[in-house]
Amino acid sequence: MSVETAGRAEASRLAAASLIRQPLLVALILIVLLLALGEMLSPGFASPQQILRLLIVAALLGIVAAGQNLVILGGREGIDLSVGGIVSLSAIIAGNVMNGSDGGILPAILACVAAGALFGTFNGVGVTLLRIPPLVMTLGMLGVLQGLLVVIRQGVPSGRAAPALSEFVTRPFLLGLPGIIWLWVLIGLLMAFLLRRTVFGYRVYAIGSNEQAALLAGVPVRLIRVSLFTLSGAFAGLAGLCLIGYAGTSFANVGELYMLPSIIAVVLGGTPLSGGKGGYTGTMAGAVLLVILQSILTTINIEESGRQVIFGLTLLVLMLFYGRGRAMRA
Amino acid sequence: MANLTIRGARKAYGATVALSRGDFDLKEGEVHVLIGSNGSGKSTLCKIVSGSVRPDAGEVLIDGKPVSIDGPRAARALGIATFYQELSLAAHRTVAENIGLPELPGKGGIFVDRARLNAIAERHISRFADVAGEGFSADTRVEHLREDQRQLVEIMKALATEAPILIFDEPTSSLDRAQVERFFEILRELKAEGRAIVFISHRMDEIFSVGDRVTVIRDGETVGTSQISETNPANIIRQMVGETELAVTEGAPPATVEAKAEAVLSVAGLSGKGFAGVSFEVRRGEILGFGGLHGQGQSAVLRSIFGVSPAAAGSIRINREERAIRSPREAIRCGLAYVSGDRGRDGVVHGRPILENVTPIHFLRNRLSLVRPGSLRERAAKPLSALKTRFAGYEQPVNALSGGNQQKIVIARWLIDRPDVLLLDDPTKGIDLQAKADLFALIRSLAAEGMGIVLYSSEDAELLANADRILVFNSGSVSRELTGADRTRYNLYHAAYEAA
Ligand SMILES: Nc1ncnc2c1ncn2[C@@H]1O[C@H](COP(=O)(O)OP(=O)(O)OP(=O)(O)O)[C@@H](O)[C@H]1O
Ligand SMILES: [Mg+2]
Repeated sequence: MSVETAGRAEASRLAAASLIRQPLLVALILIVLLLALGEMLSPGFASPQQILRLLIVAALLGIVAAGQNLVILGGREGIDLSVGGIVSLSAIIAGNVMNGSDGGILPAILACVAAGALFGTFNGVGVTLLRIPPLVMTLGMLGVLQGLLVVIRQGVPSGRAAPALSEFVTRPFLLGLPGIIWLWVLIGLLMAFLLRRTVFGYRVYAIGSNEQAALLAGVPVRLIRVSLFTLSGAFAGLAGLCLIGYAGTSFANVGELYMLPSIIAVVLGGTPLSGGKGGYTGTMAGAVLLVILQSILTTINIEESGRQVIFGLTLLVLMLFYGRGRAMRA
Repeated sequence: MANLTIRGARKAYGATVALSRGDFDLKEGEVHVLIGSNGSGKSTLCKIVSGSVRPDAGEVLIDGKPVSIDGPRAARALGIATFYQELSLAAHRTVAENIGLPELPGKGGIFVDRARLNAIAERHISRFADVAGEGFSADTRVEHLREDQRQLVEIMKALATEAPILIFDEPTSSLDRAQVERFFEILRELKAEGRAIVFISHRMDEIFSVGDRVTVIRDGETVGTSQISETNPANIIRQMVGETELAVTEGAPPATVEAKAEAVLSVAGLSGKGFAGVSFEVRRGEILGFGGLHGQGQSAVLRSIFGVSPAAAGSIRINREERAIRSPREAIRCGLAYVSGDRGRDGVVHGRPILENVTPIHFLRNRLSLVRPGSLRERAAKPLSALKTRFAGYEQPVNALSGGNQQKIVIARWLIDRPDVLLLDDPTKGIDLQAKADLFALIRSLAAEGMGIVLYSSEDAELLANADRILVFNSGSVSRELTGADRTRYNLYHAAYEAA
């Protein structure tokens, strides 16, 4: 091999390496590839209606993942396993508050977001003041929520979505896209603003990257960490409300399917589980990617349990690629 | 029993020469003291003998025969056992296992002879039983012990080897009086048995109480050996300092800060973990130095003033106003700034852009909630250029910079809004000479503009060249204040090595 070709091989290897380090770009490429694959497996997979449906499902996941993203960014093994429970609880609350009437939408929004924020705050307090590891704290909270769901469900009808809410989630609203997609875009913009243009956002990265340095620089570390969990709960609450708009009525543990995917979406989007870097734009791409993957698995007749196995494996593989360097150093 | 000789030992780590010429001669039946300031190369010399560091040059002889010590096992086979300054204990194992396991035949085997293990350990533990303090027993795990108790275990581990040559690298630094006395009793017995013992300590009283001969090491060179009975502390310190260092450093500030300048920080009777009864005042325009051996409470005092671990007792006044500071956040609001030398742990927000690294204090002091990158860049530019910071752009991740430039970024964050008092906790640790020079130039000009500065440096030369006044710390309290013409290395060492 001549020196020149060796150099060129080296250059293309470097280019490939830097590409891998751009998770957002990788995710976008994968999205296109997966859509093409889906279309091959089952013609019509990538039709406009289908893509729209995928986007709605991705928006629901994306809203949950926004909170998950914040908690993970804050570092110190930050993770929120209780989001699924909060989504389920919130769907029930929403259904019962609205009970099919449009007048109940506003109270339902308030109730869902407040309930989510409340449970999120409990998580945050447990993690900061009681020093319970997030994994344990939020897993415990998930257990509590699941117990609560069983109690609530006994004899109480789970309620119905208000028609306007269903319309908001499923019917085209502007430029052919339903309201929930626009809501998601808005959340994306707000998250970008929060993380890049507010002192709060800078502080989130600071505590996620080096908590001791942040503390010495006067960052109110505990307050910030509690608010991250609060926000995560609030986002999950909002997602629960939207979910009942999508499904019409709430059924048992609807939220359970959000725990693992919300974490995968965040990691796929380039935020390592060790926190301190990454952002929400990538997570949005991650959510879309994941939903398409899910849909392909359904298309080729893989059962729910099989999909869970595949998701778990995906997360492990992702950890190998993205999570390792930082985690080793921390 | 055995005699040990080291000739011309040399060891460099990259550009740092840890030991440039080590000559040392140890006889059986003596306690041979090795003394020298922090970083002079004592541990390096010990590690060469104990096989954990390979020298670049030089030779080791035992009873006149050259030997090659190419690892800790080789050293043990030659009858050399070592107490390591940084300790060599397995935290998750019990006291008995730490003491006895290395001595059991067939170590690493599957079955351990518990009875023999405990017998070995018990023999050594019993010697210290009445001085070891609470919570010390054969089956306590080392991770649950206090620092002094860990040192005792390391001592016992060395004793358990029954080796003819014993090296103790600062075995008494955390021990209390009674523990030291007990240890010395044992040393005297071992000496009587004909063992050869190296003993390192920074405490003059200990050296004169247990030593037979003393070798002084200065800047990596052994400069002389004398009989303890024929020398005195002043002589030893003179040897440690060198003849040229008996005067005030050239270029040191003339110490003309007027006594009438107002005190910007006054600390009275401050006591906490690692320090007691510390009182001092810093005036506007003054650089107050903290000196002494490493770890005598200097950092602990600074961190407690800054609210990292608030003091148990004492008062702090800033601009004559009494303040109860319970967190760094409150300290910053009171006008304090704190720069740690451990920038990786306490300063840098890793992997984040420079802009995020220079702004946190500005946000806090101005109670901002929105970020305006344009105006932030403008504000950060001045302190960054005053420090001659070299960087490509504000979006560059901070880790892409050299260590010195990273530290400049960390310092710059405190200077966007001027603090009243700048607390510097060994700020130049591990940064290059140019960066140090830039930093001290800035510190002096900040002082000239009226800031009060407290500078702890582990490098005596830095203190002597920059401080208007130096407080020498010894065992957690201020043992002496050096001003004007008294600010010499000799006086600094004298105060640092005095019995506390
Ligand atoms: N592994 C290493 N890598 C780089 N530099 C080193 C290393 N070990 C020691 N040094 C440097 O070599 C010099 C001598 O270190 P050494 O530990 O021998 O000093 P010492 O006399 O034992 O000091 P102390 O009294 O603080 O224990 C110091 O400047 C130290 O920073
Ligand atoms: Mg040493």
